[in-house]
Order: sequence, then C-alpha cells, then structure tokens
Amino acid sequence: MFRTVSQRYPTGFRLVATVVLCAVALAITFVLTPLDDSKLAGGAAMSIVILGLSWLIGWSGQVSLGNAGFMAIGAYTTAIWANHHTTSPIIWSLFLSTVLGGVSGFVLALPATRLRGPYLAGMTLAFSFAVAPLAIDSRSLTGGSGGLFINFLNSPSWFANLFSGSDALVKANAQWPADVAIVVAAVAFFFMANLFRSRTGRALRLVRDNEVAAELVGVNLQRTRTLAFVISAAYAGLGGSMMTLLSGSVTPQTYGLTLSILLLTLMVLGGIGTLSGAVIGGLIYSYSDNIVSIVNKVTGVNPTSTFGANLKGIVFGVLLILTMMLAPRGLVGLGSYLRRLVRR
Amino acid sequence: MGTFLASRVMTDIFGGLATGAVVALIALSLVIIWQSTHVLNFAQGAMGMFATFVGMNLVFHGLNYWLCLLLSVVTGMVLGGVTERVLIRPLYGKPEINPIVVMIGFLGVIEAVIASIWTTNITMLPSPFSQIYYQSAGHTILVSPFIFYEVALVAIVVIAIALLFRRTNLGLQMRAAALAPEVSRLLGVRVGRLLTLGWILSTGVGTLAAVVVSTGQVLAPTNMDGIFVSAFIAAAVGGLESPLGAIIAGLAIGLTEQFILDFWSTSIAPLSGVIVLVIGLSLRPQGLFTKHVSRRV
Repeated sequence: MFRTVSQRYPTGFRLVATVVLCAVALAITFVLTPLDDSKLAGGAAMSIVILGLSWLIGWSGQVSLGNAGFMAIGAYTTAIWANHHTTSPIIWSLFLSTVLGGVSGFVLALPATRLRGPYLAGMTLAFSFAVAPLAIDSRSLTGGSGGLFINFLNSPSWFANLFSGSDALVKANAQWPADVAIVVAAVAFFFMANLFRSRTGRALRLVRDNEVAAELVGVNLQRTRTLAFVISAAYAGLGGSMMTLLSGSVTPQTYGLTLSILLLTLMVLGGIGTLSGAVIGGLIYSYSDNIVSIVNKVTGVNPTSTFGANLKGIVFGVLLILTMMLAPRGLVGLGSYLRRLVRR
Repeated sequence: MGTFLASRVMTDIFGGLATGAVVALIALSLVIIWQSTHVLNFAQGAMGMFATFVGMNLVFHGLNYWLCLLLSVVTGMVLGGVTERVLIRPLYGKPEINPIVVMIGFLGVIEAVIASIWTTNITMLPSPFSQIYYQSAGHTILVSPFIFYEVALVAIVVIAIALLFRRTNLGLQMRAAALAPEVSRLLGVRVGRLLTLGWILSTGVGTLAAVVVSTGQVLAPTNMDGIFVSAFIAAAVGGLESPLGAIIAGLAIGLTEQFILDFWSTSIAPLSGVIVLVIGLSLRPQGLFTKHVSRRV
C-alpha cells in the first residue's frame, strides 16, 4: 500500500498518508494490552533499522552485515548521553545517535563503497565482529561487558492522566514508549518514502542495475553509493538508540552476528526494498516469540530443552533461506502476486 | 630485558605462524569454492564446526582421535556436497546477493543446530600431541609438539591440493570447469559434478582446520567465527582467485593479529583485521595476488 502511494503521489500526499497511518497505529496502541504495546514498540524500533538495510540492499545492491554494528553505536551514544544529561529530552539522544551512526557509516563507506558483492558483505561482517570486543574493552565509556543502564522511558503525567483504573500507570508506561517509537518510525518512513522517489533514489537504482549507464548520464558512482551507505547507517543508529530507550539498557552481546542475521531475515521476509516490507519485518520481530512458540506447539518441542532454546535461530534461518530461494521478493512480493492472480 | 623481549618476539612469531597456518587453510578452502562456483561461503567456518562436533565428540566416548578426525572430515565433505546440490545449484545465474544471503542464513541455522544438539561441553578436546613448549637445559624453546603437528598438517594439505590442481587430470578438469564452463561442457567435462567436487574438497579442508582449531580447546559452536573472519580477510586480500595469495595473506594476518594481541590489546585484534583488509583492498581492489581483470560492460 505504502509503496504504490509513494510511487504515484506527491510529497504532500505522502505527508497526509504518513500522518493518517501513524494516527491509526497510535489509536491501536490504546486498545492493546501493555504486553502487546511493548512488543509493538520493539517492532517499530526494529522496522527503522530494517528500512535502512532495505534501502541499502534493495536500492543500491550493497549487501551489508554491519548494520548491527551501527545499531550498537547508536545504542551506546544514547546510553552515554542519557547518563550524562539525565534531564535532556530524548529527541537529543535520538538526534545524536542518528548523526553518529551516519558519521561512522561514512567512515566505513570510504573503503566499503569501493567493494562489491561478497567483498563488501565480508568486510562489514568483520566490522560487526569488531564492535563488541571494542565495547567490552572501553570499560570507562561503555561499562564493559555488563553494559550501561539508563532510566526507563516513563510516561509523562499528562499522558498517564488519560488512563484510569487500577493499572493505569502500568498501561501508560507501556504505551508511552510504543507511541514514541511509532512516531519516530513514522518520521523515518516519511523521509525514506520521499527518498525512494527522489533523484538520489532513482540514481541509486541505476547505479545498482547498470554502472556504466549511470556514469554516462552523469551520476557520481562513489558519491551515490556513499550516500546510500551513510543513510542506512544513520537509520541503524536511530533504531539502536530507540532500542536502548525502550529496554533501558545496552549490552555488547546484543549487537553481534546473530542480530545482523536477524535483520537480514526480517528484511527479506518482509520484502527487499519496500516500505511495507520493513513494516512487516518489524511486526514479525514484535511477534517472533509467538511465532516460535507456535512452531514449538506444532512440532511438540519442549521449549525449555536445549533444542527449544535454539529453535528461534533455526526457524528464522530456515525462513530466510526458503524465502530467498523460493520467493525472493518476500511477503510483499507474495501479496502483489496474489493481487495479480485475483485480478486476472 | 633484551633477551626477554627477544624471546617474547620469537614466541609471537611461532604462535602467529601457527594461527596463520590455520587461517591460511580456511582461506584456501574459501578460494577453492570461489574458483569453482563464485560463491563466498559464509557458512564455511560453521559447517566445519558442525562436522567437528559430529566426529570429535566421539573422542569423549573413548574413540581414537585420528578415527574421529577422519569421521569429521568425511562428514564435512558430505555436508559440503549436499549444500552445493541443494542450496547453491538452484541459485546459479541469480543476482549476486542471493547466494550471499542464503549462505548467511545457513550460517545462522548451523550455529543454532549445533547449539541445540550438543550442550556446550566444558571439557577440553584432548590433543594427541603435547601443547607444552619444549625445554632444553632450562630454556624454553617456544615451540610445542602440537604446533609442529598443526603446521605439518596444514603443509601436507596445501601440498596435496596444489598437486591435485596442478598435476592430475581431475585437477585440470576442475580448473577448466571453473574457468570456462560452457567450453568444458562441450569437451565432455561433467561440469556439474566437478562443481560439487569443489565444494566437497573445500568443506573437507575447512573441517580439518576446524578440528585443528578445536583441539586442546573447549568445543563451542562459535569456535570458528573469529578465525573465519580472519580467513575471509586473508582470502579477500589475496584476491579470492589466488590460492598462493590466500596462504601468504593468511600467514601474514596470523602474525599481525598475534603481535597486536600481545603488545597492544585483545580487543583491537578484530579491528586490525578490518584495517588490513581496507588497506589491502584500497591498494589493489582486485587483490594483491591476482592479475588485473577488467570488468566488461
């Protein structure tokens, strides 16, 4: 839905569409349970990162496994800033993390954009591996392997007053972070929807499909690829910042290879290079534990056994492989395929 | 003080070369797969580790080390062949990112499968050779029998592979199949089979490396993660096309990381790999050891 909107209509329409969809999402959080609210909050944060990765892989054809590393940079920036400036509004944390994510993306892009395909994937993988040990070692800044803790994103009093009943505060404190995450995601999606239709977006697709043609029409390959990389890293930084705000903590172990693989899986499952694909990927992240427990029930695996504990990795890895081999355009692609089938 | 430093440097050189030898071996196995199918096998380390778990776990049940080693390598080979047939073959001719994504997914699956089948064993996998440094008249001679075993094993495998590709008919066919599949097919070479054989050979070598890495260590699913990254860097700096380049770069990276580990900091070592890769590829994007190849429009 989002994609057709962004293709056919001007910026003003995209703005209205974003506001309406965001309002609908916010309205939904009012009727959800506190548990669902916090799941949705994580999904919204994750969808920002997925969107950034989707932009990089889908639109510029650069496969990066480094976005978990950029998430870590955003996550730590937020934690360190929030601990030194406890009263500063979260918008500053989000802004700083996005900028630092982008800046570190720029540094990595200098060599990365010269590489193609497997070289790039391998280099960013190596970067992903390097982040956690660095974070563990810089103890004075990052709190070492124990990580850092910040205050929870508790609801302001005016928001809490909207609710009544015995567990009003519980509901308000669960919903407020979700609503913040949804608004932040809406801004990120709006920006990306415009980027998709922009000159840069078109140039990027041309660079992906035919470098020579792109150069002939005057596209600067290096600059375009670097810009794509920087924006993707900035989105990862923003998402990482949101993750820290939501969980109230950051640990180096969170941001390793497993997360990079999960990001890739969610993006491919949703649909590479689409806005709606990133939303679907975020929703799958929200309810990934539910999906795994369904698999648990169907297969009769004991969730507390060692096999059950690792089922998530197996299920999502298998889903990634199957999607890539059988339906590389993901659920979004499946949706448009079904639509065409119905119309015929 | 001078002698202390000298002995520390010597220890690092031997230790670095021993690590580098294993890195070189995995880098070589990556090059074999790359040459035959133009896929970078991101799951190479994990596949080797899976096979190591299958075979070497039996050591704890009283089986002979060498028998287990053989079993591991055979398991690795079977896994490699099946992977090529099932996961890679359908992807030939598809966009470059498809096999990359599939192999990354496979990496995730294998690590999760290993962790779900075998509970992490806290006992070390016993080594058939002593890991204690030789002593001579009160002086430590910085090399242990295990290091000799490590280096000798790697040398034998490298020489065997070089002979296979350079001296045998089969090796010639494999090179032909990789270089010009269509022409080879016309000349009667069973290209499909040879590509599978390339994978079988490569995962066999990768498994051997994984067994060596895990010997004298705790068997853990992620044993190979760091080493795989180093090996990838070595293969990439060497140019992915060049077996000799991969080996030289592997040894160099082993040495570099060992010195950084010892003289600077453990946490910088992974980052140093990235820096080596960046510098290497900036100097020659197509790798230090390959002839210049221009991409056609």
